[in-house]
Amino acid sequence: MSEINLALNKVSKRFGGNQAVDHVSFAVTQPELIGMIGPNGAGKTTLTNLMSGMLKPSSGTIYLNGRRIDGHPAYDVTRAGLGRTFQITRALGRMTVMENMMVPGLAHNPSARRSELEARAHEILSLLTINHLTNELSRALSGGQRKLLELGRLLMLDPSVIILDEPFAGVHPRLQDTITNYIYRVHENGKAIIFISHNMGAVFELSQRLIVLHNGALIADGEPQVVRNDPAVIDAYLGHDEDD
Amino acid sequence: MALFKRFESAIDNGIGRRKLGYLLIALVILFFLWFPNDASQSNYAKTVFISGFFYAILSSSWALLAGIAGQFSFGHMAFMGIGAYVAGLIARDGISFALLGISVTPESISALGSIIVGTVFAGLVGLIIGWLLLRLRAAYLALFTIAFSELFRIMMLTEYDYTGGSNGLSLRPLLEIADVNFARQVEYYLMFGLLIVCLLALYWVANSPIGLFLRAMREDEDAASALGVNVVRYKILVFVFTSMIVGFAGAVFYSDVGSERIIPEQLEILQMSLIIAYAVIGGMESLIGAAAGAFISRYLLEAMRQVVITLPFGLTTADGSDAFVWDTGFWRFALFGVVMVFTLRYMRNGLLYPIITWFSGRDIAMKETVAIRESDDEFAARLEQDDE
Repeated sequence: MSEINLALNKVSKRFGGNQAVDHVSFAVTQPELIGMIGPNGAGKTTLTNLMSGMLKPSSGTIYLNGRRIDGHPAYDVTRAGLGRTFQITRALGRMTVMENMMVPGLAHNPSARRSELEARAHEILSLLTINHLTNELSRALSGGQRKLLELGRLLMLDPSVIILDEPFAGVHPRLQDTITNYIYRVHENGKAIIFISHNMGAVFELSQRLIVLHNGALIADGEPQVVRNDPAVIDAYLGHDEDD
Repeated sequence: MALFKRFESAIDNGIGRRKLGYLLIALVILFFLWFPNDASQSNYAKTVFISGFFYAILSSSWALLAGIAGQFSFGHMAFMGIGAYVAGLIARDGISFALLGISVTPESISALGSIIVGTVFAGLVGLIIGWLLLRLRAAYLALFTIAFSELFRIMMLTEYDYTGGSNGLSLRPLLEIADVNFARQVEYYLMFGLLIVCLLALYWVANSPIGLFLRAMREDEDAASALGVNVVRYKILVFVFTSMIVGFAGAVFYSDVGSERIIPEQLEILQMSLIIAYAVIGGMESLIGAAAGAFISRYLLEAMRQVVITLPFGLTTADGSDAFVWDTGFWRFALFGVVMVFTLRYMRNGLLYPIITWFSGRDIAMKETVAIRESDDEFAARLEQDDE
């Protein structure tokens, strides 16, 4: 099992007058399934971009496995062990499915033999049920298949922490099962997974821990059943039952 | 169509497409090796071919930069010019770095030495430009490189005392052969050899992991970065690499191999547009396609300088001639423009793309997988079926 130690300390991000992320602190130290929820504009994607090196924090620090990574370029953060997917899938359209898999494979492990990486890619694509599309250009894939390809690329990186931004968005309900199975299997292999979703059913089914953001600030962090009954979370996001 | 299918099937069951492709390349190389030995070919024809090889280098290296790496630069001709001008200036005036205690006099440097210095200088400027362009994408990158290119051209035009202004700058001849015919033959082989070496180098990069990363960058820089690709490094690397290739080609070509002097007119946007057009027509994402597009286009543009139409039925022109002679001038470029518009509208991967794809067998590979695009519903239904 690879080392897991992601620590955010008072991380903030300001865009002009908009405080997108406001002094967020939390740590991930074991292979957990962490759901991240919050209303639109709560700062979930911005926080993901900060953790993955797509954005530089205005203040605060982020450490991954003992290395300070805030402000480091995305490729460096990825190599340090943090992989991510995007809210809108970003398959490399005019490259085949296999080439999409080889990019992270070779970037992560430049000295590896191509045949070994290809064998590993086939294994992952089989797990994701899209191995028959190996030679297809990824722009020819359906939306769901692209989601699976994006998840597959992550496994080529073998990161210790994975952030999935809206993995269930726009996905057929049956395909959600494949993605859910993927999440469980990856987690069983000792990875910490942070996933952002508005699908409350999936969030409460999968999460072992729940983080709630509101107006850029972290308003709750704990076990899902506890967070569910937190008055601040109910006010900000979950809402009250009509009977109440 | 049926005849083609039968031919296709015979090839697939026999020698195979790839081998046939390699055979065809070998035949083309043999033709180019034989051509200057044909006594009936004039020195003019050889000069046209030399120019074709030179533009093939420019076009194929631009295809790597723009078609494969996605860096749509208009600065390619400027880098070519930097290589040539620096080589010429060093050979004529020498150079001195007082701080480093290095001094190169014109007497102490050979033509080849000056070409190497020109190449290195083009690479250094490529490094600086690559670094400046890091955050620029698409239209901004194109605008910046247009501005850079024009600035360089105007500088070469106005610094008359050093560069010769519009008269151009003569470089030290690379070859000094008294026999004109033999000299042309050697220059032909030199430029052809340079094209082969450049194409091999370009293909080596394109087929290496670097090539894969460049293509990933072209598709989506952020996604490539999130997959562990150091976008900054590869962006600079491709700028330096292609700048050095065109810098070297420019310095060699204007060292009296293809032309006896470099003039600022060669650095105009029209020339850069032609390089782009050659690559687009041949296939921007294919190095060999871009090279072939450039060579064939150069040849046709030259052949179309004068169009002779023999009049039928004993008709004659006003001056009594039985043939109508049309000096096409710039109209040949208009025709060329029509071909480019047609290519962009109907064959965006270039006119040669279907041929290259056929020979590479890529279309077979795709047919072997599920080429039909499944909808998410169909995909989910298949998953369910697999589960059962």
